[in-house]
Amino acid sequence: MALVTPFKNKSVLILDDMPEARASMRAQLGSLGCERIAVTATVKDALEQFKNDRFDVVLADYYLGGGTDGQQFLEYLRTRRIIGRGVLFVMVTAEKGYENVVTAAECLPDDYLLKPFTADVLKLRLERLLEKKLRLATIDKLQDKGDWAGVVKVCDEIIEARDRYLVDAMRIKGNALLASGRADEAVEFYRQMIALRPLPWAKLGLSRALHQLGKVDECKESLGGLIQESPHLMAAYDLLGKVHLASGDPDAALGILDSACIIAPNSLARHRAVAAVAEDKGDFKRVEAALEKVVKKTRNTPLRETEDIARLGNAFTENGEPVKAVALIEEACKNFKSDFDDAHLAAVEALAHQKAGNRDKAEAALSRAMRSDTAHLPPAAAMAVAKACLTTGKRDEAHGILKTLVQTHPEAKVLHDRVSTVLRNHGSGTGAENLVAESIREIIQLNNEAVLKAKAGELALAAEMLTKAAQRLPGNMQIVANAASALLFDVLNNGLNAEKMIQAQAFQKAVQSRDPAYPKLAEIEDLLGRIRARFTAGRK
Amino acid sequence: MEFADLAAITIHDVKNRLALLANRADAKGDAETVRDAMEAALTLTRLLACYKSERGQLQADIDAHVPADLLEELAAEAGRETRLAVSFNADEAPTLWFYDEALVRLVLRDALYNAMRHSRSVVRLEARIVGDDLEFAVADDGPGFPGDLLGQPLAMQGLSREGTGLGLYLAGRVARLHDSSGREGCVELRNEGGAVFCLRLPR
Repeated sequence: MALVTPFKNKSVLILDDMPEARASMRAQLGSLGCERIAVTATVKDALEQFKNDRFDVVLADYYLGGGTDGQQFLEYLRTRRIIGRGVLFVMVTAEKGYENVVTAAECLPDDYLLKPFTADVLKLRLERLLEKKLRLATIDKLQDKGDWAGVVKVCDEIIEARDRYLVDAMRIKGNALLASGRADEAVEFYRQMIALRPLPWAKLGLSRALHQLGKVDECKESLGGLIQESPHLMAAYDLLGKVHLASGDPDAALGILDSACIIAPNSLARHRAVAAVAEDKGDFKRVEAALEKVVKKTRNTPLRETEDIARLGNAFTENGEPVKAVALIEEACKNFKSDFDDAHLAAVEALAHQKAGNRDKAEAALSRAMRSDTAHLPPAAAMAVAKACLTTGKRDEAHGILKTLVQTHPEAKVLHDRVSTVLRNHGSGTGAENLVAESIREIIQLNNEAVLKAKAGELALAAEMLTKAAQRLPGNMQIVANAASALLFDVLNNGLNAEKMIQAQAFQKAVQSRDPAYPKLAEIEDLLGRIRARFTAGRK
Repeated sequence: MEFADLAAITIHDVKNRLALLANRADAKGDAETVRDAMEAALTLTRLLACYKSERGQLQADIDAHVPADLLEELAAEAGRETRLAVSFNADEAPTLWFYDEALVRLVLRDALYNAMRHSRSVVRLEARIVGDDLEFAVADDGPGFPGDLLGQPLAMQGLSREGTGLGLYLAGRVARLHDSSGREGCVELRNEGGAVFCLRLPR
């Protein structure tokens, strides 16, 4: 007899390294009427499945063997948006307690299922979780879109109803207030929640809000207390580390991240964070120690990041072991073909060769690094390429890359300091002292001029200026979004122009893919609507 | 490697095997074996929790949960494993309460297996508000607890007792980990037409 159950149409992915456990879970799901079940043994297999299929439910065992675990798998899926908020992730584990270590709220599984469990319990649990997903589906969609005002509104309705989802709604509402920069409201909201019940996530939320408001001392105090009460809440260490860094105390930041590493020695994120802070401090011994752990743990797993290898190679070189750096990078390129074309890695290789005295090999590696458009590189990679240029005497190229980098991120003070440090360490030369200030001045002036032109009615000219700037600085969201707006204003006032419309929409897409919640997108959407209304109405 | 680490890995391994055993028996409808495997696995979980508690490492991860859901799951699970009638009642329970669900589940399952051993025909699970507390109760219609166990203070007893001693000790520890506004949870044993095990958690 065919079963008609709520699970009939749900597709489920099982991930477990033990064959008997996989078979057992599959049989249990089968007995619940579930027909679409994919069974995988490794993270690699599971990721392969995600390429071809979408799943409603993921059941992953915490212990996966081979250097990975279910938590790392979940973090990978969520941070790369391979699964949306609507997908149910259940962590299966024989023992709760080891894995109490949690990186961030968005990387929490929807639930833990403790082995052994019977098919009945699995059924009840999945039914409840699916019901909850359904109730929160609207919120999930609004969150994925970044419509925080909408999220707050729907959460308020649930809070008003005071049903079983009350606390879930409160948690999400707090996050939405923080995500939309409503820090004052968030402080008020979390204080109310804490008065109701001082839950760790509410205290963390309060700390985040205080951080946003720049109330450094209050924030530090709140986090210190939280870490004492909930030593497994990794997000508290992360935030406290950030606060220490922002208040100019990298040693305190490292101290706090170190204590987090002791509690959660398997958490890659913490070791990476230690490396980042140590790198800024110029403490490359610590960078080396932290990243060697990461590289060793992730070798030949999908969690491997080329950037870790580039940073570790750089640390080797800085510590006077360029030969070790070259060996590391050569091994990486041998095993992963795509690493050969990685600009960051090639730049680090160039630096290592240069330091080891292999000029020709340095040149060859650098030309590989500069094959791609450096304006599109992530900041760390662009910085490495610039450093390699400076070391090999290509000063103009280096200055060009750094100028673009600063203009792409005109508000990133920490990055500006790094650029200045790189320039100082490599003997500045003409134009280097003022490169940061001059680059920022130039981009602000350009933006202001375009705004003035637009206000003076010279819309086409403003659009042209911003389009040029956006093409030169594709990573500067403000410029790219302003270019889209300017083009659309021009079209709205001066008549349809296919080329401008296509360009504007390409800019819009670029911003959307980087940050779907970017505030200016609403204005762009509005302009597109007005253009559609005007020009279709006119044709009647 | 420390003995404690070795023990933890072994416990983990044995629980995985018990899970397989339970699932295989479940698929064949062999309720007795399911129950034995589940109870054996629970014993190991309890052992590990007691070990952590002794070392001061047992922590309550408190969040909002639905008491009715917990009782429904416990009753569904136990109902499959026994000929006794296992029922639950959460009509007078609040929709949400704040507690560590994994720990409370462990304590209640322990009490539930104990009740199933001594009951004649019925086991009842209940959740209700008593004063400012949520009270979870596991009641059976067996001969009741021995007189010297009745009341509250037993939650403070050490590890020296035999049999249910370990379970009661852990229950007391878990209860006390649930503190709120200066009040702690507690365990109480009563006899009312059978044994009644109560876990009270403050608001």
